[in-house]
Amino acid sequence: MSRFAVQAKELWKGYGEGERRVQVLRGFSLEVQEGELVAIVGPSGVGKSTLLYLLGLLDKPDAGEVWLFGQKVSELSPEERATLRNRKLGFVFQAHLLLADFTVEENVAMPLLLRGERKAVALARAGELLEQVGIAHRRGHFPHELSGGEQQRAAVARALACQPQLLLLDEPTGNLDSQAAERLFGLLQELVLSQGLTGVIVTHNEALARRCHRVVHLGPSGETPC
Amino acid sequence: MRALAFILGRYLLGLSRRTHVAVVSGISLVALGLGAMALVLTLALLEGFQATIRRQLREGGPHAVLVPARGDKLPPGPWLEALAQKHPELSFRRLERGSGWVVAYGEAVPVLVEVVPGLAAVEVDRVLAARAALAAGAEVALLSPAPVLSPLGPVPRRVSARVSRVVPGLARAEKGTVRVPEALGRELLPQGGREEVQVFCLGDGDPQNATAHLGPLPEGVAVWSFQQLHRPLLAALSLERLLIGMGVSLILVVAALNLLCNLTMLAAEKRADCAILQAMGWPKGRVAALFRALGLAMGGLAGLGGTLLGWLLASLLDRTRAIPLPKGVFATSHVPFLPTVPSLFLVFGVTVIAAYAAALLPARAAAQRGVLEGLRGE
Repeated sequence: MSRFAVQAKELWKGYGEGERRVQVLRGFSLEVQEGELVAIVGPSGVGKSTLLYLLGLLDKPDAGEVWLFGQKVSELSPEERATLRNRKLGFVFQAHLLLADFTVEENVAMPLLLRGERKAVALARAGELLEQVGIAHRRGHFPHELSGGEQQRAAVARALACQPQLLLLDEPTGNLDSQAAERLFGLLQELVLSQGLTGVIVTHNEALARRCHRVVHLGPSGETPC
Repeated sequence: MRALAFILGRYLLGLSRRTHVAVVSGISLVALGLGAMALVLTLALLEGFQATIRRQLREGGPHAVLVPARGDKLPPGPWLEALAQKHPELSFRRLERGSGWVVAYGEAVPVLVEVVPGLAAVEVDRVLAARAALAAGAEVALLSPAPVLSPLGPVPRRVSARVSRVVPGLARAEKGTVRVPEALGRELLPQGGREEVQVFCLGDGDPQNATAHLGPLPEGVAVWSFQQLHRPLLAALSLERLLIGMGVSLILVVAALNLLCNLTMLAAEKRADCAILQAMGWPKGRVAALFRALGLAMGGLAGLGGTLLGWLLASLLDRTRAIPLPKGVFATSHVPFLPTVPSLFLVFGVTVIAAYAAALLPARAAAQRGVLEGLRGE
């Protein structure tokens, strides 16, 4: 029996006050089953990233509920949300957002260190992940010494460090050329499928989106599942 | 805690890079260190002068005084001899005090007259020597307020004497003091003066504790301790040190404000880092703790460096007597510096506290900034 990894129920979210208020999400709902890779596509400004931040517990909806793995999470305290992010969620952003003062290996080990893992254990795990994403030879380099594709691979490795159940990807190929984007998406697909993860990916790239299990179109008036 | 220390260490190492924020951070660190050094030097200077003054007080006058509780005569009996026998670590000198004038070179200077049993010749203290321009061998006339009848009516008693030597003065005395032998004293003060017993510590005894172990004294005898004898001067010295120390501490306040600006810039520069750390599950509180720890570490580094440098410089200046003072004007030949361990700890502590306080606002701002703002700003 399949279970839902993500349930977004009637999500409302807007920014600003008064006349300057912009309503981004208007009662949006979404269900993602465990092990499913879902692409969210749509034009700029319709709230794709906002949706991802709500699902990733980085923001709170104005109204509606978010459930992750059968647990209602939209009402959790900031500390509980932080713990949940560390233990169950992995993020990859359009900009790699690697920490400039740390080597690639340390960046990948960082989520484990934040969890309180010993440095040696965290670095060993980081080494394994860097092998998996194919940049183990770059482990001692700093982020600025890597190409864009390598930086995103490092970001993917970091997202997987804590063995998350849900991977949230915000335009992970947005800053890459088509070849690098193709390679990175292939790697993501392989990792998600081989490890049985659930993935929600926000992208502008319709071709890549079609390779996911399901594509959800998000428009100004709501979503159209395909 | 492990992650915080790891990130903190790397951020501190990152300050060695030649980025704009790193250069400003370096300047903040140096300013804080210089402030600590200046404070150490100032406190060492004040302590040096105070130690000199305390030494002169210790060497120049009694460490305690036994006086009549009422009237001007001490109770009779062998109590003083018993006291001397009981306390071999102290020496006791009985004397009488009165007022008078010293006339020298046609000028009369009011003085305290001390009648000291056993004294062979007239001595004057430095205060009197300076006021009346006296030196050993000078001829003076001593005048007593006790009148003597003359054909012209009552006139002050007058005795001529030669100054045998100049001795250190009593710091509490506003007037100069002349010490005279008993026989001369009887002439000047036929009714006798106010009796007192001066108490001195022998050897390395601490003058401040001279009266601590005296035990019960006979009725009619009161005691003035070293602190009571010199209270106005010692209080003035403490006040001086406190106020000048607070004044110089303003350097640290300015340096801490500089550090506050720097940490605010650093927090802005690291906003993406803070956002991604929170996205990876670090609570806001840990982000704030990171910046507070950064302030603490920078304060610790600057404080340690500045305090050590100040201590080295103060020790060097004192040991080499690098700043001489003109002889005869000051009681010491050079500007003394005496860095004490408590003052070093005080300066280090104040520096660290100032830096920690400077980090509070930037830390709060870094933690309060929204995660999305940091992620999208990148």
